[in-house]
Order: sequence, then structure tokens, then C-alpha cells
Amino acid sequence: MSPIDREAHLNRWRRKPLAEKTLLALGLLVLALALKPAAAVLVASTMSAAALVGARVSPRLWFGCMAAPLGFLAVGVVTLALRVDAHGIGLAPGGFAEAGALVARSVAGLTCMLFLALTTPASDLVGGLGRLGLPSEIVDLALLMYRFLFILGDSAVAMDAAQAARLGHATARRRVMSAGLIAANLLPRALDRARRMEIALASRGWRGEMRVLADRTAATASGLAAISATLAAIALVGLFA
Amino acid sequence: MHIMEGFLPVGHAVGWFVISSPFVIAGCLSTRKILRERPEARLNLAASGAFAFVLSALKMPSVTGSCTHPTGVGLGAVIFGPSVMAVLGTIILLFQALLIAHGGLTTLGANVFSMAIVGPWVSYGLWRLLQSFGVSVAVSVFAAAALGDLSTYVTTAVQLSLAYPDAESGVVGAFVKFASIYAVTQIPLAIAEGLLTVVVMNALSGSAGKPDEIAILAGEVRQ
Repeated sequence: MSPIDREAHLNRWRRKPLAEKTLLALGLLVLALALKPAAAVLVASTMSAAALVGARVSPRLWFGCMAAPLGFLAVGVVTLALRVDAHGIGLAPGGFAEAGALVARSVAGLTCMLFLALTTPASDLVGGLGRLGLPSEIVDLALLMYRFLFILGDSAVAMDAAQAARLGHATARRRVMSAGLIAANLLPRALDRARRMEIALASRGWRGEMRVLADRTAATASGLAAISATLAAIALVGLFA
Repeated sequence: MHIMEGFLPVGHAVGWFVISSPFVIAGCLSTRKILRERPEARLNLAASGAFAFVLSALKMPSVTGSCTHPTGVGLGAVIFGPSVMAVLGTIILLFQALLIAHGGLTTLGANVFSMAIVGPWVSYGLWRLLQSFGVSVAVSVFAAAALGDLSTYVTTAVQLSLAYPDAESGVVGAFVKFASIYAVTQIPLAIAEGLLTVVVMNALSGSAGKPDEIAILAGEVRQ
């Protein structure tokens, strides 16, 4: 259902330590947001190189994932560069410089987020949040939700295909009806599945705790040092360039 | 409507995290209480959250010709109540950022505020208000879902205009700009979402006018 999730499980950096990947991506994200546009450009190129060359993420997916956010960005930039007053629509003073900085920062931020999303499965990240002190109930809830997502997603895709084959998408009115039917049929199924799973777990003595085996690799000193050096170099450029 | 990663300046990103966190923490506390008392509710909540995520990935036609997707804000708020929705909504928004590249990590606070806090509270408040006046279920559900959706979009426009005020006309001018640009897609979406939620509720309860059955369904999760 989610090509991003598939890539996150299959890329070359899947087994790299979680701490290293998150330090790199979140560190660069903070730098891109806090420093000048020059740093943002460096962040975007570093993240793209790490994802495409290092983790061998498919370039098609990498750029494909950017399409929708870039559309949002385009609307924002237009809004920023234009002004509306009594005389009609015109270019805003200083709007271009501001818009340029916004584009640099947003694209850099986007690459950091995509790097994390495409190299690390969401379940690993949520598990990491748990080790950082997020309450175990909430972590379990999120992990269970993650597992349900794909089961329900498959059902929804199958329902959608069945409706399309029966002219369910023929008119706008039918599409709304079809979408409503999917939603209405999916919710009872979801709750029913939850009930069956609960019975299965209860019969195995479940007390409300989810224990799963996670294959974690510990962060290496050399990896952390290399990442810190990269972050420091980009920070220096951003501060003084 | 999700604000993309990196779009908000640092101060605003942090500010929205600070504003959202009391609501999410309160939601976490009440969710924990529910889960302590009835561990089995965990599976229902997880299934419902996954359902809301899948719903938001459904494509729907918009009047302007573009494809758009329902937010499930109104439906969730009416079924589960706004406090649980703050937690579910936050997890859903995190997964949307990580699994379909919608929204962002630094903008999560702002997105949570508009979509997991303001939207559900508006929907839930309207639903309760209209029900107490004896308005029919279909009309209440439509109003709750459509206006809940609209309120998330107005909130996002406010957030954007606070971050990028117009050089001359200030925050108000920027709000008019952002709001009018996004109104093109968001108003038809709100209407479509309202209609969709009525269709869902009808199908769930057999026919409109049986709030009891919705309550039974919701009773699985809502305390």
C-alpha cells in the first residue's frame, strides 16, 4: 500500500543503526531550519546523496515523493511573492528573496524527512521514541496501528478495484457514494478484526503488553563521529558563508 | 490540509508544538486510563486509527476537477470524542509524514493543532449542540463533518498567515490571500466530506435517525 514503506524495508541502509540515521536526518533538519539558505542547499544535496548513493533509494520514488509537497510549496511561494491591494495584484517588495529562502528551507526539510522515511521503517522510529520515554501504552497503540494499516489498506484497495470494475467511479456522485461505502464497510471489518485478534491474544494469556523481537544494531563510534563532523561542517558554512 | 516539512520558521514550529502538547498529553492520559482499565480497548483503538489513516488515503473527486481526500476528522470526533482523537490524530499525522510524505516532522505541532485538536473539537461541539436541539442525525453529521473540515483549513490559513504576514496589510492581508487560494479546493472538499460522512453514518447505522446504534458501535472505544 505504501511504496515508501517497502523502500524503507528494502534499502541498503535498512540495518544501519537507528541512532545514526536519525542523528543525521534530524540534525540536518534543524540546521536547514535554523541557518541561512546556503546551509539549506548543502543539507538538500547531502541528504539526496545519502539517500540515492548511500542507501540506493530508487530515484523515481525519491523525486516522486516530492511532487505533492512541491505543489503545496508552489502555492505558498505564489502567495508570498504576490500582494493584493486596492490597485489589484502586483509583486510584493522583497517577496522574491523571501520566497527563495522559503523554497531552499522547505526543500531541504523535505529531503531530511524523506531520507528518514525511505531508509527507516516507521515501526523502528516509533520503537525508538519508546526507548526515549514515550509511554509504552502509546507506543504499543502506534505499533498496533502500523500493523493494522496494511491489512486495512489491502482491503480498501480491493474494494476500490471492485467498485471501479462495476462503474462505481463513473460519475462524481457515484464516486462519493463508493468512497462512502468503502468507509462504511471498512470500519465494522476493522473492529471485527480487532475483536478476533483480541480473543486470540486473550486465549494466549495476553495482559496488554506487546513484545516483539527487534533486530537493533548499536551505533558505532566511528559512524557517530563522521555524522557529527558532517553536521559541524555544514553548520560552519551556514554560519559564516 | 497538511503544512509541508520546513515551511514554518523555527519559532513558529516550536510554538505550535508548545500549544498542541497540553491537548495531546491530556489525551494520552485519558487514553492510558482507558487502556489500564480495559487492555482489550487497545486493539479497537488501533484498528480505528488505522481505519482513519486508510480513509484519508482514499481518493475523492473534487468539484474543481482535482482529486482530494477526506480527512475523517468529523467522523472520528463524532464516534470517539475529541480527547481520544487528539492522540489518534497525532499518531496518524506522524504516519502520514513517514508513510505517504504528507505533512512533516517539524510542522507536526502545527498540523496536530489544526487537524487533531481544532477540527475534532469543532465537529464534536457542533454534533452535540445540534443533537441537543433535536436536529436530525443526517443534518448534524453533515454540519459536524463539513464545518470540522472547514475549521481545519481556516486554522491552517491562520497558521500560514501568522508565519508569513503580508508586508503591508499584515497578518489579516496574508490570511485573506492564503484563505482565498485554498478555498478553491477546500470548500468543495468540506462539502464532499460532509456528504461522505453522512453516507458512512447511514451505512453504519442502517438508516439515518438511529444514533443509538452509532453509540453502540462507538461504545467499544469511547468510555
